Amino acid sequence: MSRTGTSGARFSPMTRGQLAVLGLLALTPLLDLVFPSLQLSGPMRTVIVYAILALGLNIVVGWTGLLNLGIAAFMAIGAYAFAILTSEVYPFQVGFWWGIVLAGVIGALAGWLLGAPTLRLRGDYLAIVTLGFGEIVQDGLKNLPAITKGTEGINPLPEPMLPLVEVSGETPARWFFIYLAVLALVVFLCRNLEFSRMGRQWFAVREDELAARCMAIEPDKAKLKAFAAGAALAALSGALYASHLSSTGEPSNYDFQISILALCIVIVGGIASITGVLVGAIVVVGFSNVLLPVVTQAMQRAGLSSTGNVLASPDNYKYLIFGLALVLMMRYRPDGIVHARKAVRK
Amino acid sequence: MSGSLISVQGVTMRFGGLTAVKDVSLDVARGSITAVIGPNGAGKTTLFNAITGVYEPTEGQVLVSGRDPQRQFSGRVIGGVIAAGVGTALFVAVTVRVETLWQAAIIDLYQFQQPFPWLKSVGVFLAALFGGGLWGTWIPLFLGAVLGAAGRFVIWSRTRRTPDVVAGAGVARTFQNIRLFPELSLVENVVVGMDRRLATGFAAAVFALPSALRERASARADALELLEFVGLADKAEDAAGNLPYGHQRRLEIARALASRPEVILLDEPAAGMNPTETVDLMRLIRAIRERGTTVVLIEHHMRVVMGISDRIHVLQYGEKIAEGTPTEIKSDPKCIEAYLGKEELG
Repeated sequence: MSRTGTSGARFSPMTRGQLAVLGLLALTPLLDLVFPSLQLSGPMRTVIVYAILALGLNIVVGWTGLLNLGIAAFMAIGAYAFAILTSEVYPFQVGFWWGIVLAGVIGALAGWLLGAPTLRLRGDYLAIVTLGFGEIVQDGLKNLPAITKGTEGINPLPEPMLPLVEVSGETPARWFFIYLAVLALVVFLCRNLEFSRMGRQWFAVREDELAARCMAIEPDKAKLKAFAAGAALAALSGALYASHLSSTGEPSNYDFQISILALCIVIVGGIASITGVLVGAIVVVGFSNVLLPVVTQAMQRAGLSSTGNVLASPDNYKYLIFGLALVLMMRYRPDGIVHARKAVRK
Repeated sequence: MSGSLISVQGVTMRFGGLTAVKDVSLDVARGSITAVIGPNGAGKTTLFNAITGVYEPTEGQVLVSGRDPQRQFSGRVIGGVIAAGVGTALFVAVTVRVETLWQAAIIDLYQFQQPFPWLKSVGVFLAALFGGGLWGTWIPLFLGAVLGAAGRFVIWSRTRRTPDVVAGAGVARTFQNIRLFPELSLVENVVVGMDRRLATGFAAAVFALPSALRERASARADALELLEFVGLADKAEDAAGNLPYGHQRRLEIARALASRPEVILLDEPAAGMNPTETVDLMRLIRAIRERGTTVVLIEHHMRVVMGISDRIHVLQYGEKIAEGTPTEIKSDPKCIEAYLGKEELG
């Protein structure tokens, strides 16, 4: 019998679950009004950035079944493309919106360039290629200081602005809503793909490549499109990340750990499910970037923790809690918080 | 024979020292039901794999409707090779001196808050790109061109006769060890089979254009009709992996029929079926022929083979030992020997 189906035969732009998660996120600025001291809108933007990154990875890993361990490289490419295209250091200065769009396009191109010669590799070998690519991009960025400013990073970068309307005095809440709108658009596009011929080809290739081939599907082309689409979203997230920091930061901001973090979000949230990935981003990034700093601050104010006492700082328990949570997840809920992989695609 | 739909001509399949199929020729008449029988290990499935492009025949060839289904050497191939060559050449040439080019074309020309001379920049860029001398320009260009063009050409030549090409020519198949897409619903499984008839491209898919939604709706309606035809319509939204064995076989047939193939190759469709299911299957196979689809099947159930086949080919140890109508085969001494062994004389 069918387990929890995500949607019926009729196409709907978003499921109730996806709308609910996006709606919940939209309440963040309200929390800021109630608890002005927390200032959650800023850190919650990183949740959105990582949600987009993980949605990109989900296309490759969750839907097409290719292990990509270098998604952070595409995030870096997006961040630097955005920086070069918008910063005052260089003549392009295309503005925020063109910046993120072009960053996505450049990311897709990079994914296509990497994928075209390598996607015929199977399983582990492809994972090794993507792993290597992640390292190469980082080293490349570090060693081209004439273009990337090396470890200084390119800055300052433009903050998000509303299109057409000129509003003075930008506020974190407004920036947050712009990011949320971009996320909603990404969710909408991902969902379109999931329920289209394209998504069906990806699923077929994931489930049984030979059978898909015998149904006249060309797995190489389907994989290449998945790779490019995932890279485009990763680059978009990189552009938003750079805009949030107002700097690209240094190249090692986009290291292997970010790739693994994205993978954790996908797995913890629920592999192959858009809702799951959104929940995963909120749980994982919300924990490390939002909850922990708040707790730390509160403890410092209460005099419970100091920088001198290593054991009393909750930040130092981050990876301990993280690891423990992953082990427990794998034991009790291996399909992720949102059981999507097993949900029947209708 | 020129009127035959599938013409296997002297096909030999060797795996290292093992010859699985040896110089087999057979013809399948359009609109017929043809059976390939033989003891276990006779090379029947290997022959199917050679026909459908899973294996490349060591010797001989397989014609479908009188021509060899493979990617033709067309203008598109030449264009692809040239594009890959030029693209890679430029990529390599730009990459090896990216800092110099950037310095000349962007940094040297850009003055803060002055209009940027775009045309001049392009000119300077091209001059610098092609003015790098032997080692800076021409050797990278040459190596890139060779690498790109050769890579593209090798990929084309090694994927000339893959299963997707053969399937695209109208040859559908099922598998001996059922290969469905277990996590997709029955309808989606069938729609995957339909893929070669669908036209939705990536852009239409990602933006859920009306054309894509319309095609999806009509494809699902067609798929439901096919499920009706094989008697599985009431389970349309279940996961394929949850179906009982006999139903899975029928779903595989529906999926293969979905592409509206010229010919359908069934690999042991009655395996694991009880007598009632077997009778249903015979009715189904006849109905498939009534729809105008030619049927080739591998089968061990003699009742099925003798009951529905127009023509039977017998394989033993990879060689064809007999061919004829069911009545002829029943009385052929060589076939009786292959199946029952030789009678010991006196």
